Amino acid sequence: MTAQEVRLCGLLLHEHFGEVVEKVGTHLLRSGAQNLRTIIHETGLSVDLVKKSLMVLVQHGACLFSSGRKGPGSPTEYRSGCDRILRILRYPRYIYTAKTLYGDTGELVVEELLQRGHMTMSGTVKTVADRLTQNMEEGRSMDYSEVSSAFSKLVETHFLQRCPNPAAGATPAAPGTPAAPASAIPPTPESFPDCYKVPHMTLVGRGKRQLAAEDGEDQRNAKRQKMDSEAHGDEGIYWQVNFERFHLHFRDQAIISAVANKLDQTSSEIVRTMLRMSEVTTSPAATCTKPLSANEIFRSLPASYNIPRPILDQYLTLLVDDPMEFVGKAGESGGGMYVVNLHRALANLARATLESVVQERFGSRSARIFRLLLRKRHLEQKQVEDFAMIPAKEAKDMLYTLLSQNLVQLQEIPKTPDYAPSRTFYLYTVNQLPTARMLLQNCYKTVANLIERRLFESKESKRLLEKSQRIEAILASLQASGAEPEQLTEVEEMITAPEKQQLDALKLHINKLDSAENQVDETIFLLESYVNSTATSTG
Amino acid sequence: MAEVKVKKEANLSDPAEVENRIKELCHQFPQGITDQVIQNDLPHLEPQQRAMAINKLLSLGQLDLLRNSSGLLYRLKDSQSTSKMKGSDNQEKLVYQIIEDAGNKGIWSRDIRFKSNLPLTEINKILKNLESKKLIKAVKSVAASKKKVYMLYNLQPDRSVTGGAWYSDQDFESEFVEVLNQQCFKFLQSKAEAARDSKQSPMVQRNSSFATSHEVWKYICELGISKVDLSMDDIETILNTLIYDGKVEMTVIAAKEGTVGSVDGQMKLYRGVNAVIQPTGLVKTPCGLCPVFEDCHEGGEISPSSCIYMTEWLDF
Repeated sequence: MTAQEVRLCGLLLHEHFGEVVEKVGTHLLRSGAQNLRTIIHETGLSVDLVKKSLMVLVQHGACLFSSGRKGPGSPTEYRSGCDRILRILRYPRYIYTAKTLYGDTGELVVEELLQRGHMTMSGTVKTVADRLTQNMEEGRSMDYSEVSSAFSKLVETHFLQRCPNPAAGATPAAPGTPAAPASAIPPTPESFPDCYKVPHMTLVGRGKRQLAAEDGEDQRNAKRQKMDSEAHGDEGIYWQVNFERFHLHFRDQAIISAVANKLDQTSSEIVRTMLRMSEVTTSPAATCTKPLSANEIFRSLPASYNIPRPILDQYLTLLVDDPMEFVGKAGESGGGMYVVNLHRALANLARATLESVVQERFGSRSARIFRLLLRKRHLEQKQVEDFAMIPAKEAKDMLYTLLSQNLVQLQEIPKTPDYAPSRTFYLYTVNQLPTARMLLQNCYKTVANLIERRLFESKESKRLLEKSQRIEAILASLQASGAEPEQLTEVEEMITAPEKQQLDALKLHINKLDSAENQVDETIFLLESYVNSTATSTG
Repeated sequence: MAEVKVKKEANLSDPAEVENRIKELCHQFPQGITDQVIQNDLPHLEPQQRAMAINKLLSLGQLDLLRNSSGLLYRLKDSQSTSKMKGSDNQEKLVYQIIEDAGNKGIWSRDIRFKSNLPLTEINKILKNLESKKLIKAVKSVAASKKKVYMLYNLQPDRSVTGGAWYSDQDFESEFVEVLNQQCFKFLQSKAEAARDSKQSPMVQRNSSFATSHEVWKYICELGISKVDLSMDDIETILNTLIYDGKVEMTVIAAKEGTVGSVDGQMKLYRGVNAVIQPTGLVKTPCGLCPVFEDCHEGGEISPSSCIYMTEWLDF
């Protein structure tokens, strides 16, 4: 993990879990696997706090524990990885996706699970039903079965998965029993056969609305105790959000929108159908989807797209001929077997991202030079000037700027064994993968900058924010107790107009910074997927 | 009979008559006469006299000395060029001839020196002389801007020296290139739009959105925005820049020899395309475009909390 990643993870942990967890988390990130004693010693926190922070981190899957290096008997070691913590940045996107796919119920289920890390199905269903009931009108409440069905749907499409049982993976070998040695690698959730099986759960009831009345509270508390002690048949089965599945979904969406931009709507629908058909049959690291025959695609097209069969064939041929190579032809049986080239599509999208960054940062002529070098691989300076049709002086200037920003590299080819500059060829070239990694680090730094700026802005106006909060509280209590309009306006006027303006501006700023973080996260996602796809294909 | 003979014999002794005779022979054989021909015509002429006459004619600039595979050739120079060289001496004539031989590629002064074996100072004087007489001109080469090549005054410089259609007076005409760029792009884009709106089957749509390089060339010629004549290769270089801009894509198809615009049995087709993605998220933030991105860290002079670019962007 790089310094930028660690900085970003620190900021995210601080925002979501507080300072103590941040301290422990960043310490783990920097120092690798450590046991409890070392952590306590090096962070200088009390045993209690460290234990609780580790619990929080484990609950959210950010920290893994395994038996120590010296063998099964030594104290357990904890290690933490950047990836899981960086996912926190993407939570809004996950929740939004769940909302578009499964409605409000799905959205709340995913939100609860993201906030809690691991939860049982019954617990989730109850909480979500309560929350939904909260927002409904008086007298109506949410049935548990509806929430359960939404939950099951999420599990069926693999968006949620069971947490791997740590006891099964790291069993200390009982003396004398030829048990399997403790595995060094924590088991992945997929290694369990029941990963996506919804447990049989006895949970009947409806969501409870929270009552504000005092007398209702004691009753409610008592009731809650009783409810919690009921067993619902799914003890010990904890669920977590399957991030990989969401990532596959995002990747598919990116490919579909790229096809829609490049070609037209119908082509993107065809690609969407193809991707949907291969959702559960393709492994996450696959280079391309399983081949689908044109007949199958024709049958699975959505009913609204009434295109005749020959037209579908034409569209498929056009997709195959496109230089972007989103779709490839894998055979002739069944009317033509087609695959979606996932890795190539990701590489193209990453390349388009790089080009767009160069274009926005340095201008369209520099972008022309950049694309030229991407296409032609190695070029001399004179050739760059000729191909790009840019005057020599300007081309030289732009090339040197790109070189200083490390977006373009120089390759020396000597004519003589001593690298005499006058007798060496200097060729300019662009390497896509290292440049993508570099941009990825820049993205991390950008997000960290945005978060820091947001915290700074809130800190600056802390006094103002506190004042406005106090006034809101007063207003709310006055309204609840039925005050007259004059009292309300009197309280509202306690905030002066310029202060209100400042508050509005502050709100605007914070929203802008927030949305910017999400936008940069989209870039991060593309670049990360691309880098990971190359790692799996070459490694 | 005898008179003719006497005349002829009388001619032989007069050098001027010999020269005239040689000139007449040259007129008879415009492509040049060899020594052999003169000998056949004037069999009684001594070689010495013959040589003297030929030398006189050469020095007067009325004869051209050429060499071919069988020996030396003498050719009559046309009167126009003879008048030009009046008053020039041998060295100038030599230099002039060397420059003439270089054709429209021109020749560098150092190369003139090698070919004529004259010292540098002489060469420079002669060149200045010839230039003032408007017989030769100096053309600055576009490849090396300090180099000057010399060629005859009325010759058009070759493309490799001037850089072709894109250079006017050694200056790269970037505006001209830009204008051409945009025009080509508009043409291709409108063709693609028309194809898309025609709502035919997708294959037909795509094929009709293609334009061959020949069509684009014709369109640009008809537009008449170019003072210089542009060849199809020029248009193809412009279209290549559009490909590098990411606005156009190209395919090559096999075409029958003889169809208009085909080169070596292939045709290049171009069509306008849309961008694959929208501008990426990173560049929507000030950090993505920040010139001092590397120097920025918390607690430094340049930091996110004090960033002026962010302040401006937030208030936008």
